[in-house]
Amino acid sequence: MNSRKHSAMIVGLSAAMLAGTLAGCGTSTSAAPPTKNISDITIGTLYAGSGAYATSSLPEYAGLKFWASQADKSGGVFVKALNKKVPIKIVAYNDQSSATTATSLYSQLISVNHVNVLVADFGSVLTSVAVPVAEENKMVLFDQSGTGTTFFTPNNPYIVLTSLPNSGLWPDSLAQYLIGQHYSRVAILYDTNDFDQSQEQTLVSKLKAAGITPVYNSGVPTSTSSYSVLLNNISHANPQAVIEFGYPNNDISFLQALKASGAQYKMVFTVFPGQLPTLFTTSDGPSSINNIYTYPAPPLISHAHVNYGMNSSQFIAAYKKATGQSTNFLNIAGYNTGLIIQKTLETANSLSQLSLRHAVSRFSGTIETLDGKFQINSEGAQTGETLPVGKFTTNSAGKVSVDLLTPLS
Amino acid sequence: MLSSGRTHLRSHRGVNALIPLLLLAAFSLAPLVYANHAVIFQMMAFMVLAQGVNLLYGFTGYLPFGYVGFFGIGAYGMGIGIELFHLPGLAALLVGALFAVVIALILSPLLRLSGAYFAISSLAASEVLYNIVANPALTHITNGPYGESLVQSYHPLTSYVAMVVLLVLTTVLVIVIKNTPFGRALLAIREDPVSAEMAGIAVVRTRTTVWILSALIGGLTGAIFGWHLSVFYPSTVFDLSISILAIVFTLFGGGGTAIGPILGSVVLYGLYNAIGISAPQYFELIYGLLIVLLVLFLPGGVVSLLQRRGSYVP
Amino acid sequence: MLEYSIVAGILFGVFFGFMALGLNLIFGVMQVVNLAHGDFVVLGGYLAVIAYSAGHINPVVSLVGAFVLFFVIAFALYFPVIPRLTRSKDPEMLSLILFFGLSQIIEALDVIGFGNNPRSLPLAIMGAAPWHFLGQSYQMAWVITAIVSLVMIGATYLFLYYTRIGYAARAIMGSREEAAASGLPVAQTSAIIFGVGIGLAAMAGVLSPFMIGSVDPSTGLGLTTIAFAIVVIGSLGNPLGSVLGGLVYGVSVMLMQTYFSSWSDLVPYLLLLIIVLAKPSGLLGKGVRNA
Repeated sequence: MNSRKHSAMIVGLSAAMLAGTLAGCGTSTSAAPPTKNISDITIGTLYAGSGAYATSSLPEYAGLKFWASQADKSGGVFVKALNKKVPIKIVAYNDQSSATTATSLYSQLISVNHVNVLVADFGSVLTSVAVPVAEENKMVLFDQSGTGTTFFTPNNPYIVLTSLPNSGLWPDSLAQYLIGQHYSRVAILYDTNDFDQSQEQTLVSKLKAAGITPVYNSGVPTSTSSYSVLLNNISHANPQAVIEFGYPNNDISFLQALKASGAQYKMVFTVFPGQLPTLFTTSDGPSSINNIYTYPAPPLISHAHVNYGMNSSQFIAAYKKATGQSTNFLNIAGYNTGLIIQKTLETANSLSQLSLRHAVSRFSGTIETLDGKFQINSEGAQTGETLPVGKFTTNSAGKVSVDLLTPLS
Repeated sequence: MLSSGRTHLRSHRGVNALIPLLLLAAFSLAPLVYANHAVIFQMMAFMVLAQGVNLLYGFTGYLPFGYVGFFGIGAYGMGIGIELFHLPGLAALLVGALFAVVIALILSPLLRLSGAYFAISSLAASEVLYNIVANPALTHITNGPYGESLVQSYHPLTSYVAMVVLLVLTTVLVIVIKNTPFGRALLAIREDPVSAEMAGIAVVRTRTTVWILSALIGGLTGAIFGWHLSVFYPSTVFDLSISILAIVFTLFGGGGTAIGPILGSVVLYGLYNAIGISAPQYFELIYGLLIVLLVLFLPGGVVSLLQRRGSYVP
Repeated sequence: MLEYSIVAGILFGVFFGFMALGLNLIFGVMQVVNLAHGDFVVLGGYLAVIAYSAGHINPVVSLVGAFVLFFVIAFALYFPVIPRLTRSKDPEMLSLILFFGLSQIIEALDVIGFGNNPRSLPLAIMGAAPWHFLGQSYQMAWVITAIVSLVMIGATYLFLYYTRIGYAARAIMGSREEAAASGLPVAQTSAIIFGVGIGLAAMAGVLSPFMIGSVDPSTGLGLTTIAFAIVVIGSLGNPLGSVLGGLVYGVSVMLMQTYFSSWSDLVPYLLLLIIVLAKPSGLLGKGVRNA
C-alpha cells in the first residue's frame, strides 16, 4: 500500500516537473506584435562562447554588437515601413559550438522571442540547422558566413548570405594568379570539410581548364595537427606553389611545420592569415607569415569606393575607441551584416519577411561597404565581396603589410 | 518467487500503464502550451536516447559511450533513404533503423569486453563510423563532408508525431522488459554472468538481443532527428555530447527503471535550456559541476532515494 | 617518403606514448578512467605558452614546474573525489561520467582564463637547425621532444620498478585486494600515483605545442581518446606498453598521412578496435584483464 502511494507520488511528481519545465521555459504563444507600434527592432542571433567555433564566432558577434551600438548612438536605424528611426535590440544565445543546441536556440529566437530579424551564427555547421527552421517559419535568415553548398536552393527565398562569397568562389582569384604566373607544378593540401574541399574542387577544375594538373593533391581530416610528414611528401613532388586550405588551427600548425622543415617554395598560400593575421603573429612571431600568400580581407585591404557605412580606417578607429580592441576581418564581417540589415530596413516597405527579402534583392549590387560590393544571386548566395590574392611582408618590428597581386573588384 | 513477481506486476500495472499515457498526453499537448517546439522535440529525443542507454546500461551494465554512433548512422540511413533511394520520409526511417541494426550486429563482438574497455571501444566504433560517413570517398553516397540536405522531405509535424510515437513505444518496451522474466534475466546477468549462465540463462543471446534493441532505438531516434533537422553535417549527428547527455540523463534519473531516464531528461534537459538561455557564459562550468556533484553524492540517481525507502519504482 | 614517415612516426609516437602514460598509471592503479586527461595536457600547454611569453622561460624548465604544480593539484583533488568514487557500486563507469564533468569544468576555466584562440610556441626555441638522419632532415623540436619524452618514460619506469611506492603501485595494479591484504598502503599509493599521473600529463602538455602545433580549450577530449587508444594498444599498467602503443600509433598515422591521407583520423580508433577484439590484453599484456 505504502509503496503504491509512493509510486503514484513519483508519477505525479514527474508530471508536475514536466509541466513545470515546459512552463518554466516561458509560455508565450502570443503572435508577433503588430508592426505599427513597434518601439524597437529586435535582432536575434547566436554565438559560440566555447568550443571549436568560438575563435571565429565571438569576434563576428562583437562586430554585430558594435554596429548595433553605433546605430543606437544616433537614435537607431531608419525603418521605412514605420517611417521613423527605431533603436536596435540584440537578443543572443550561446550555442557553445553545438549544432543541436543551436537548433533549439534558433527556434527560441523565432517562436518565443519573436525577433524581427534572424541572424545566423558563424560558419556553415552552426548555420546549417537554421536554414530549414528559418524557411519553415518564413523568416529570412541573414547568413553571415555560412557558405555551405547545400543552403542555397532556387525555391527558398528565406536566406541571404551577407559577408562572404560562397567558398566555392573564393579560389577564382587564386587560380587566375597561379595561371598568370605560369606555375605548372602546384601542390594542394586541403581539409576534408565543406569549406575547404569546395575550394579545392574549384581550384582544381580551374587549373585543369588551363591545362595544369596538380602534382600533389591530398585531403586530410580537419583535426590534423601535425604536418611534417605531409610537407615532406609535398617536397617530393617538387612543386613551385604549395596551397593549403584549412581552418585557423590547421594553418597555424602547417606554417609552423613549414618553417621548421626549412623547405623553400616560390609560393606558399594559406587561407586564414589574411583574415586573422594577429592570431598568427602572436603565436609564432611576425616572421611566421612573412612572404606567405593569402586572401587578404579587410582591414588588411581597404575598398576605395565605400558608399555605405564606415570605411576601413574609420571602422578601425571607431572600433578601437568603443571596445579597446584592434580590428580583425570577422569584426568587419559582423559589422557588415549589421549594415546589410540596416539597408534592408531602410529599403523595405513593410516589416514582413518577404518584403525584407525583396528589399535585399532591390539594393543588391548598388552598395559597397568596407567588405566590398554587396551582390547576391537569385538564391541569396553572395557573389560580390570577392577575395583577391595578396602576399604578406612583415618586418622584425612586427609591422605587417600586404601587397595585392590580383585586382580588388 | 516467480508468482510473487507476477503479483508485483499486477499490483503496479496501473502505475506502469500511466507512464506512457502521461507521456503521450504531455507531448501531444506541449506544443500548444509552449512555442519553442524544437526544445520539446529535443527533450523527447533525449528521453528516447536515455531509455536506449538505460536498456543497455541499466539492465546489463554495459555503458555505451559511443551510443551516438547508432544515432548518427540512423540519421544517415534516413538521408540515404531519401536522397539515394528517393523514399518518402516514413519509409526512409526504416532504412535508418536497418542501418543501426546492421551496425549493431557487426559490432556485437564488443560485448565480449567488460567495463571501461567496452565503453571506450564503443566510443572508438562511433568515431570510425563518423570518419567513414564523412570521408570524401563516400561523397556519392553520404555527400561526405558537404552534409545532408533533406529539405524537400522536411516535414516537422510528421517527424514530431513520429518522435512521440517512438517515445511511447520505447517506454512501453522498457516497462515490459523490466517486468518480465527477460528483464529479470538481464538483471541477473548484470549482477553475476557466471551464475546466470549456470541458472540456465542464455547470457550471450540475451545480451545481444538487448544490444540490438538498444541500437534500434538509437537508430530510429537519429533517423527522426535527422529528418527534423533536415540539414546536417556528419559532425552534427555524430557529436559525442549527444551520447554523454543521454548517459548523464539516465544516471541522474536512475538506471534500471522506466521512470529514471524520463525524470533525468525532464529535469536536466530543462535545466540545460534554462541555463543556456539565462546564464550562457557559465554554462559549461555549471553543467560540469553538476555532473561531478551528481556522481559523488547521488550515484544511483534520483530514484535511488525512493528505492532506499523500499518504494516500488516503475 | 617511406623512411621519413617511419622515422617521423617514431618521434611522434614516442611523444604520444609519453602523453598516454599518466592515463595508463591512473587507470591501472585506481580503475578510474580519467576522461579529463587531455584537459590536463592542455593545461600544461597553456603553462608552457604563458611561461614563455610572459617570462621567456624555456619549456624545458617549465616541465619541472608543470610536474610539481599539477602533482600538488591532483594530490589535493584525490581525497574529496577518488575514495568516494571507488566506494560506489560501479566506480569504473561512474568515473567516466565524473571525469567528463571535470573535463567540462577545466574547459570552461580555460576559456575564462586563456580565451578561445589557439595558442602555440615558436618551434625555433628548441633549436632552428634541423636534425639530419639517413639523408633526411627532421625538425629539431620533434627530436628534442621525443628525447625528453623517452627520458621521462625511463624515469617513470625506474620509479615503478625501483621505489617502494612504485612496487606498491604495481602490486595494486595486479590485485587491489591482495595488495591491501598484504598490508601495502593502498590509499596513500593511489593518491601519489594520481598526482604522478596528472603531473605527467601536464609535462606532456608542456611539450605538446611542438608536436600538435597549438592548444585551445577544446583540444582535450581528442587527446584523451587517442591516449586511451594508445593505452589499450600497448597494455595496461606497463610503461613500456605505452611506448609501444605510442609507436604503433605514431608510425601508423604517418604512413596513413602518406598513403591514404584523408583516412588518417581513423587510425587510433581502428587500431583500438582491432586490438581489443583480437588480443584484448594489449600487445604486451599478460592476461591482466578479464575481458
